[in-house]
Amino acid sequence: MAEKVQKWYPGEGKLTIGRAILYVVLVLGLISAAARLFLGLGATTNLNDAFPWGLWVSFDILAGVALAGGGFTMAATIYIFNLKKFEPLLRPAKLSAFMGYLVFVIGLFFDLGQPWRIWHPMVMWNPHSVLFEVSWCVMLYTTVLAIDLFIIGLERYGKESWIKFFRDIYLVLVVAGIMLSTLHQSSLGALFLLMPQKMSDLWATKALGPLFFCSAVIGGMSVITLESLLSSKIYKRKPEIGILSDLGKGLAIALLVYFAMKVTDLYARGATVWVWDWVHFWFFVELFGTVALPALLLSFPEVRKTQKGLYWAAGLAAFGVVLNRFNVSLTSYIGYRQFGYFPSAMEIFVTAALIAMGILIFDLGMRYLPIHRSELGGEH
Amino acid sequence: MSKAVLIDTTKCIGCRACQVACKSWNDLKGERTVFSETWSNPRFLSSNEYNRIIFREIDRPDGQVSWHFISRRCMHCNDPACASVCPVGALEKMKEGPVVYDDGKCIGCRYCMMACPFQIPKFEWGSAVPLIRKCTFCAERQALGLAPSCVTTCPTGTLLFGERPQLLKEAYRRIGSEPKKYYPQVYGEKTAGGTSTLYLTAVSLEDLGLTRVGFRTDLGDVPQGIYGRAWMSKVPFVAVAVGGLCVGLHYLHKRRAEIKAEERKEG
Repeated sequence: MAEKVQKWYPGEGKLTIGRAILYVVLVLGLISAAARLFLGLGATTNLNDAFPWGLWVSFDILAGVALAGGGFTMAATIYIFNLKKFEPLLRPAKLSAFMGYLVFVIGLFFDLGQPWRIWHPMVMWNPHSVLFEVSWCVMLYTTVLAIDLFIIGLERYGKESWIKFFRDIYLVLVVAGIMLSTLHQSSLGALFLLMPQKMSDLWATKALGPLFFCSAVIGGMSVITLESLLSSKIYKRKPEIGILSDLGKGLAIALLVYFAMKVTDLYARGATVWVWDWVHFWFFVELFGTVALPALLLSFPEVRKTQKGLYWAAGLAAFGVVLNRFNVSLTSYIGYRQFGYFPSAMEIFVTAALIAMGILIFDLGMRYLPIHRSELGGEH
Repeated sequence: MSKAVLIDTTKCIGCRACQVACKSWNDLKGERTVFSETWSNPRFLSSNEYNRIIFREIDRPDGQVSWHFISRRCMHCNDPACASVCPVGALEKMKEGPVVYDDGKCIGCRYCMMACPFQIPKFEWGSAVPLIRKCTFCAERQALGLAPSCVTTCPTGTLLFGERPQLLKEAYRRIGSEPKKYYPQVYGEKTAGGTSTLYLTAVSLEDLGLTRVGFRTDLGDVPQGIYGRAWMSKVPFVAVAVGGLCVGLHYLHKRRAEIKAEERKEG
């Protein structure tokens, strides 16, 4: 066994309050998850025939995957668009992407009526189904991310000959990762193409696929920003303000493109926008509060170059991506269904536990793997 | 070849014998149900109720009230959205007519419930190992040469079982011979690409207030599954385009860097 890499972080080995809370949340979620497995979905969730998809699909699956878009966004930025200055952000991005997909897969496991049949799409094919494609892409992409982390793990143990093998095929992994992400990020939106009549005019559009893709890029960039700021605070490092404010410029551009896409789409379809009700309230919050506002904020260098400004802008943008997924999959149906839906305590516990698990895994990765640039020797 | 059922709602007396026949043939659990505001019972379809009669009272111009009884059940679409979206192909349209479901394949993702424009597939929420349930058009009875149990039971001839083209012809014959009795459209002829369950009504579905409870009239004539399939048909091209673009750009940048390095060496 190789000994632990020379890493030490404040609070390591001690049970800090933050970690204690995460463990409590995790235990609550584990109990709820066990109850869900033994008692069934009907007994433990508020899902019903009118709302077959609820919190777990909206958050764990749709929002989780979009927020984990940082992995492929950074890989494309660095390896395809050759913007090497962002390299220090790549490994944390990969780690958070892997965390996001783990949350997705575990969330999906509990959401399925027959969880132990989760492998069925591998052998039972329906190439007409968008969900079939999504499940294949997610399976493959999670494998790509796992290999990526495996390589980082190999570096820790100094297995040079293995690392060389993976470095030789690395471009294949990068391109596969970007391709698979492009496909499933947009296809998650395309899942909703089949039900235009059931959805509110505000979100029922043929452009759902491209819109989901674009907002996944936004989700990825804002999560990388937040994660970098937070981890520099927790692990007592100097925040990478220079790189992050450059990334902030990119985020602002992505937000503007997304805003333009949304407005063009609404205008082209002639959707009724200027009405005041709850559905429209969430729509306005999404479009103006979490797309236009952060784009505007990021256009000021004073905002872009301060920690606080970046926190706010990236936080709003990330929240906007989550809100969009809830809007498309839940808010959009309010006017249509006969019953209502609000997640049960157990649904909320499971989702909270998944988030806690994600943070704990991320922490584990930060502590045991060479993720931060100070831990990398020279070329990597 | 493809079987269908014509439901002439003007003949229905609301006896609910078809509901009972459906439950007993499919061995569905009895449960405590309640009346709706209009005396329908049960109020909703569920994994235990594949068929229910919706009761409707309509005020007539002459001041009288007229009753309408409409059986709600799976439409058995010619090109069903549920079968198109199912990631494991658990739902399937048989060439004989029924849309059937394979218990052994289903993973319980509930996409069929989201996608069905008629909101027909229902989930066994009460079970720890839930499956999807809906009307099977008595496919196993049809395989034996029998009519569906609801059709066999109906005492008034509301339900007519037969070949789809012949039933359509019969439906229009009835409309033509008694134009005052019927609303001049057959619901299911073209809706969502055509269905194997066909309806004749006395007044429009809008007037019956049914468009929000499963009898949508804004679906158009194309099957909903086409939207998903159109997307899927583009996927291979997007994959190749993105992959090619990535590889191309990567080598372009690499080559540029090499040239720059060479120039630096020379200069």
